Amino acid sequence: MQDHTTEQELKDRLSLIESMIAEGRRKTESWGWTFVLWGVVYYLAIAWSAWGHSVWAWPVTISIAVIVTVVVASLKGGNHPQTTLGRAIGSIWIALGISMFLLFLALGLSGRLTDQHLFVAVISAILGMANGASALILRWKVQFACAVVWWVAAVTTCFGPDAQSMIVFLVAIFLCQIVFGIYGMITQERKMRGPIHA
Amino acid sequence: MPDLPELNPVVHGRLRLALLSLLSGVEKAEFTWLRAQTEATDGNLGAQLLKLEEAGYVAVEKKFVLRKPQTLYRITETGRQALTEYVQALKQLLGPAIDA
Repeated sequence: MQDHTTEQELKDRLSLIESMIAEGRRKTESWGWTFVLWGVVYYLAIAWSAWGHSVWAWPVTISIAVIVTVVVASLKGGNHPQTTLGRAIGSIWIALGISMFLLFLALGLSGRLTDQHLFVAVISAILGMANGASALILRWKVQFACAVVWWVAAVTTCFGPDAQSMIVFLVAIFLCQIVFGIYGMITQERKMRGPIHA
Repeated sequence: MPDLPELNPVVHGRLRLALLSLLSGVEKAEFTWLRAQTEATDGNLGAQLLKLEEAGYVAVEKKFVLRKPQTLYRITETGRQALTEYVQALKQLLGPAIDA
């Protein structure tokens, strides 16, 4: 190691390894749009079921949202590499989507989607679980705050009148889907514009 | 370069080292993603990946997605071990100079 060029070359190799490993783990996908999309879908389903009183409101809107999410995600996915972390987070949300689709389809078709308090409590608890699990894996405090909001909504909707339950649900959707989704998109955009190599 | 022969020559190539390092952080990666990250030409990238494959350091999986061919690469356990040993050898060679 007396040759300075060699020493520099070896340091460059170490630097290259570090920057490439970091690049491989760099999360380039942006999932903020899915939160916004699903927030809008919840609002549409609520409006449809409130004014139209249709048992099809939730099954239809959830089905369309699942299809749109899958199609847009596959188009946006491009050639991003698979990572264990990405697969873990993706699995949580896919499982959530399947659970909600089956639950609301069955409840809607059976005509038992009538207890608003129970409905809001269940959907809020499911969303709290998914956000909480995702936040703990990613160590993302902002998403954990969303999980807390959903859990609070799940509990508070069990008490008080119908109007209070609906307001809590609408506020939780706005904060945890719309606002969090836009925040996610902005932060991902900033990361994408940041320096790539050390 | 008296110390360089101790380094694994297959891993030491700059592009091959970049490829192994990239693949060590992911489960699988497409050829096009590796090309974008390394900014290598198709020919050079293909040749270096072939060398890594022949050494047993990467595994290749070819499939069709929506009728489009997709070539996926993943680092093997042998490749991961080779990269680990290479890093350890680098650190030994650099010694105190590593923090300089």
